[in-house]
Amino acid sequence: MKKILMVLSFFWGLTFISCRKDTAIDGPSIEEIYSSFKMLSSFKANKDSVDFSGGATVGFSASFNKIVSWKITITGATSKARKVFSGQSKSIDAATTVWNGTTTYFPLFAAENCIAKLTIDGVTDTFQVPVRIKNTRTVNTAIVIADFENGFSPNWVKFVQTGANMDFNIKSDTSKVQGSSYLNMAGTVNWDWLIGLVDFPASAYSTSNTFNLSTNPDAVYFNCLVYGVPGTNMSKVLFQFKEDENADGVINANNEDQYDFNIDVTWTGWKLVSIKYSDITALVNGQPVTPKGNSIHNPNKIGKISMLHLADKALGAAACKIDFICFTSAPLEL
Amino acid sequence: MKPFLLIIMIFSFAAGLFAQQKKTIDFIGGARSYMSNSALQVQDSLPDTTTLKRNTGGYALIDLGVNIRPNDKTEIMGMFRIRNEYGGFWGAGVSFDVRQLWLKGIIGNVLRYQLGDLNLKQTPFTLYNNRVQLMDSLPSIFQLQQNIVNYEKFYTNNTWRQQGANIDFGLTLNKYIESLDVNAYLTRLRATDFSSVPDRLLGGFTLAIKQNNKLSYGIHKVSTFDLKGTILDSNVYTNNVTTLFAENKFYYKQNLGILKIELGNSVAKYSHDALAPVLKDYFIHAQAQFIAPDNKWEASLAYLNVGPDFRSVGAQSMNVNFNAAPNFYTSYANDKLSRPLSIMDLVRNEQIYTTGVSSNLMKPSLMYNAILPYGLATFNRVGAYAKASYKGIKGMDLNASFYKLSEIRGQGTTQLKQFLQAELQTTFKLHQLIGFKKGLLLQTGFRMQNTQRTGAVSVELVDLKSMAWQVGVNYEFAPKLQLIGGMIFFNTKGNDFMVDRNIYTTVDYFTNQKMDIAQHMTAFGLKCNFSAKSYITGLFQSASYQDKLLVMPDYTMKQFLLIYNMTF
Repeated sequence: MKKILMVLSFFWGLTFISCRKDTAIDGPSIEEIYSSFKMLSSFKANKDSVDFSGGATVGFSASFNKIVSWKITITGATSKARKVFSGQSKSIDAATTVWNGTTTYFPLFAAENCIAKLTIDGVTDTFQVPVRIKNTRTVNTAIVIADFENGFSPNWVKFVQTGANMDFNIKSDTSKVQGSSYLNMAGTVNWDWLIGLVDFPASAYSTSNTFNLSTNPDAVYFNCLVYGVPGTNMSKVLFQFKEDENADGVINANNEDQYDFNIDVTWTGWKLVSIKYSDITALVNGQPVTPKGNSIHNPNKIGKISMLHLADKALGAAACKIDFICFTSAPLEL
Repeated sequence: MKPFLLIIMIFSFAAGLFAQQKKTIDFIGGARSYMSNSALQVQDSLPDTTTLKRNTGGYALIDLGVNIRPNDKTEIMGMFRIRNEYGGFWGAGVSFDVRQLWLKGIIGNVLRYQLGDLNLKQTPFTLYNNRVQLMDSLPSIFQLQQNIVNYEKFYTNNTWRQQGANIDFGLTLNKYIESLDVNAYLTRLRATDFSSVPDRLLGGFTLAIKQNNKLSYGIHKVSTFDLKGTILDSNVYTNNVTTLFAENKFYYKQNLGILKIELGNSVAKYSHDALAPVLKDYFIHAQAQFIAPDNKWEASLAYLNVGPDFRSVGAQSMNVNFNAAPNFYTSYANDKLSRPLSIMDLVRNEQIYTTGVSSNLMKPSLMYNAILPYGLATFNRVGAYAKASYKGIKGMDLNASFYKLSEIRGQGTTQLKQFLQAELQTTFKLHQLIGFKKGLLLQTGFRMQNTQRTGAVSVELVDLKSMAWQVGVNYEFAPKLQLIGGMIFFNTKGNDFMVDRNIYTTVDYFTNQKMDIAQHMTAFGLKCNFSAKSYITGLFQSASYQDKLLVMPDYTMKQFLLIYNMTF
């Protein structure tokens, strides 16, 4: 009997000491999830016009009766540029859903009227507010290598193969993304991968033999906008950063570093490409190799940048567009 | 060619040792031939012109293991696998793999160690391979197919196969305590990709003290942790589980009574992630067990309380990956739909079974086990369970269990789910009961699971029932020759909410899953046992999957199997 009591008291004791009440619930309320959608507070922008050039921003807010998947699409009336925010929540907070004038789908926004439209998964109604851009945002760059707004610099060196339908010209048409001009690179070269190239020597930007960039390769970002033309063969845009390590004005490929950034243009439309200089490697035929100089990334010793447009000679015509080639101290936001 | 050379070198080395010193080498392994011819029948609503509905093939394999004992304190085991798909010829379809590799020994007659492959198990709350999708044991015609899965995945006695190092030692003392045993291990759970996924390790120890013949106690500890520095990101995951256990034996009217308790806590967190919650919780598992003096019957009553935030990577890993694609008839309905897993997949498809502890919390299946998907370590459960077993006269075995559990914290509501599970399995050696000379075995089984949640709002209601029945017959009509057959019925009906969890294992969303699925699997065949370690069997089996809510098209799989299996 004593032992039976011992067993029973053992269980009683456990039940007592482990008795716990948990009034919280895990996850979102099921009642809310499966209730019909209601807008608790309307979709609003915290200002109806904004001057992005001074660093101002505009925030959006709304609240709902349950967690929903939402998307805000801001579209420029003139530029047709689009900025998209999305999330899954019960509310949209003007403190966190903040637009600083940047773009998700290019071209860039202009000083124009915009419409911000809120759509919610499973809800047919849409909600919208107008926002006017007084001035576009200021882009902080270290050096703009080429934005093609002032034509072809005489200090740049261009080489274009004598293939079919060659077009290596600056254009100003509806494909523009930043400013009003960009460089078109197109043609068919069926005996060589190279379609054309442009050399940007440091001397075109300063009196020095090297670009005036930071010595820290982690604080230098290389950026450009690249447009993939639909329905053509894949273009490759290869940037070669040739360091003049002894700053003698001569780039020696045998004993000075060259770093290569290859962009396979696998998309259609404009896309911003950005890379930290220290992440760029030396390549030979697309494979990483050891650079031939001091093997140290020295952005301040870059003497020349070559931009090559390449495509598989067996495939035929290739085309892409490029704009706003620049260095920044942080990843470029446009 | 390289694997061939490697094998020849190892065997040459082994043969050299054998020549120099007798009894230092053993050859072990197994061989299997597996031939299958199967067909898929689908209740297509549209004409299906793309899904392939016949499949034939198989493989032959041999596992060759060399167990070398260069001295009396060291043992080395290496096992290679040569596998050839039927239809492969002159190298096509042939694969060579290292299946096992370990080294073990004793240092100074005190410390035992093992390096390489390890089979590890601690307790159901720390490190344990739960087998909870099907019933505890299957009719022998299905069990022989499960045994192949168990062999392939190294599932032995609820252990997990890991790679790493293990040490253990024991001390016998004259004063205060009788003995002390220590076991510790460190294994690699996941390898880094050198950019965003860090190395994840699993380590732990057990310290067990035997006070006297009646009382023993100790501590288990298991940690899962990311190794800092294996990627640049300093945010690392840790999951620490510490448990205390004690066991007291006593006698009541000559019956052996054992009181067991294990209690502990867990902490799961990320070091540098502001969004990640710190999940801390505890569990208690207490059990009173009674065993008859002649071991004919055994009964136990247990109390279980596992907190909603209790996380234990080693114990909450599932052996079935329900998101895995089956390796045959992966899709159907013009290849547009992924074929849902059926009980035939669970019985024989090794592709869906996992090889080791999973580094992330796996998603359970409401259909196959909605109550204890992670075994006893399933979080957010409180209640009691009872088990009884009886090994009666004339070859009758009976095992029964009953679970009554509930949630501790509501899932998307303050209302709590109530769980009920009952299981009964019997084995009758009918030839002993009726005095028949030839062996006749009858196996039966039944499992019922019931999940209920009431609520003021109808959308919160949960009512899910699953029933499984099984029966198996084994008739030895001539020496070493058996007719075998079996059936499994598995029905799931009702609704429950499938939980979507984020990477931190907390709940993001609930999806109401309505089910009315009826499955059955039938098999029969002939088996010839050459010895206790080798057999050949020819089987025909058919499995049907019927979705009465028409969410997925119904299908039936039929299969003829010829299996030769041996171990040596």
